[in-house]
Amino acid sequence: MQGPLIDTLARQGVTRRTFMKYCATLASMMALPPAAGRAMAEAMAAAPAATKRPSVIWLPFQECTGCTESITRSHSPSLEGLIFDAISLDYQETLMAAAGHQAEEALQAAMKANEGKYLLIVDGSIPLGLDGAYSCIGGKSNLEALKEAAKGAAAIVAMGSCAAFGGIPKANPNPTGAVSVSDIIKDKPIINIPGCPPIPVVMTGVLAHFLTFGSLPELDSKGRPKAFYGETIHDRCYRRPFYDQGKFAKTFDDEGARNGWCLFELGCKGPVTYNACATVKWNGGTSWPVESGHGCLGCSEPDFWDAGGFYKALSMPADPLKFASTAAAVGAVAGVAISFANRGKKGAAKSAHETTTLADLEK
Amino acid sequence: MPLDAIPVVVINASENSSAADSGLSGNAPVLLREIAELAQRLLASDEASAIDLRALPLTPADLDWLREALGQGQVVATLQAEGESTLSETVCPGVWWVTHHNEKGAVASEFIEVTYVPELLKAHPDDVKIGLEHLEMLISDLS
Repeated sequence: MQGPLIDTLARQGVTRRTFMKYCATLASMMALPPAAGRAMAEAMAAAPAATKRPSVIWLPFQECTGCTESITRSHSPSLEGLIFDAISLDYQETLMAAAGHQAEEALQAAMKANEGKYLLIVDGSIPLGLDGAYSCIGGKSNLEALKEAAKGAAAIVAMGSCAAFGGIPKANPNPTGAVSVSDIIKDKPIINIPGCPPIPVVMTGVLAHFLTFGSLPELDSKGRPKAFYGETIHDRCYRRPFYDQGKFAKTFDDEGARNGWCLFELGCKGPVTYNACATVKWNGGTSWPVESGHGCLGCSEPDFWDAGGFYKALSMPADPLKFASTAAAVGAVAGVAISFANRGKKGAAKSAHETTTLADLEK
Repeated sequence: MPLDAIPVVVINASENSSAADSGLSGNAPVLLREIAELAQRLLASDEASAIDLRALPLTPADLDWLREALGQGQVVATLQAEGESTLSETVCPGVWWVTHHNEKGAVASEFIEVTYVPELLKAHPDDVKIGLEHLEMLISDLS
């Protein structure tokens, strides 16, 4: 285990054992066999020197910066930062010192200098409505910017549910015509890292995989790295045994809830949500939604916002499309009733309130 | 819904203790067989192996049960590296319980390693070289 990275680390006071421990934990989080930790430690330690660091360009579109927050506030900045030391982050609006024309020039320069080689990270969805006018940067629509940057990219990472699947901007009725990166770009490898926000270590894990094995990790049918999205929350949940035993919390304050039983009946979306929260956890491994007593919202799945109610059990009919006709009929009846009520109100208002006319003023 | 409508019931800790005991899923005892198999492999072919405890559906009570069952052996090593790590040998020599904490004290990963000495404890030749340079410096300062 020798190489430029381990030397850089040593200068920063990070010992070989610290690095090995980090890699063991990272391998565990990536659901790789324990022996992979050592392989990663060896490969990453031999990462290329600063001059050859792979260029990374990060473009923000219709997003809330939550994804950037998630990554930059990951639990151990010094160690997560190690991974970022192995890359060259050439454009990131929130983090970069440059602004305005300087920033845009940096972007153009990075794209030109690393053409065909840079990794493009996108967070946020892309609005197609009004010719993309809903979201522009430097006078350029997101659609234009994405197409331009994608042209020279080696691969694209769609960071967060918005970039991966459209996310909240795409939620009904999707006023801006938001779409995902993969809806637009068809000729580049795209890795989806969904989540609202995604787990920081998933990002560093993908980069570590890139540096270790020289390739992108294996992806599932929705373009997500299998290491993190290979199993459902439910399959790796520590409360799973209670599900198998039929022990469920029925309300948020009953005996079952206090005993930490399964939250399925309280609307947990764990069984249909592919993510690594159950093993990686949040806030530096402190806890995660189910451990805090709340079911999974399914934020890393497509259209999670419109999936029919966070507190509805999956076994209850939830598909809004399937039941749209019934809902529309009920809605129509309710609409008629409301309009009657409004008409009544209007009449009452009219009789109670005498309007002033020009004739009145002349009196 | 007014806040008063939500019933708040205080549960006595002593009343609740029996419920806490029921946190066992039954997944821990089977692990003993796997550990036994890995120990046999170590003896037969010198091959070290590890079980990632975070990758298995184990409740906190399961982990406690397993820890209790394996017991505490003679060796405990701690490593200070971005949070404490403990590597402690269980009652069964060659079976190590390895817990990595992050700098906030939360458990970052947890393994059972079946090996004569965990890899993490051994000094790397490159580090020994650095140590040797330091020793030579100390010696040269003597004269």
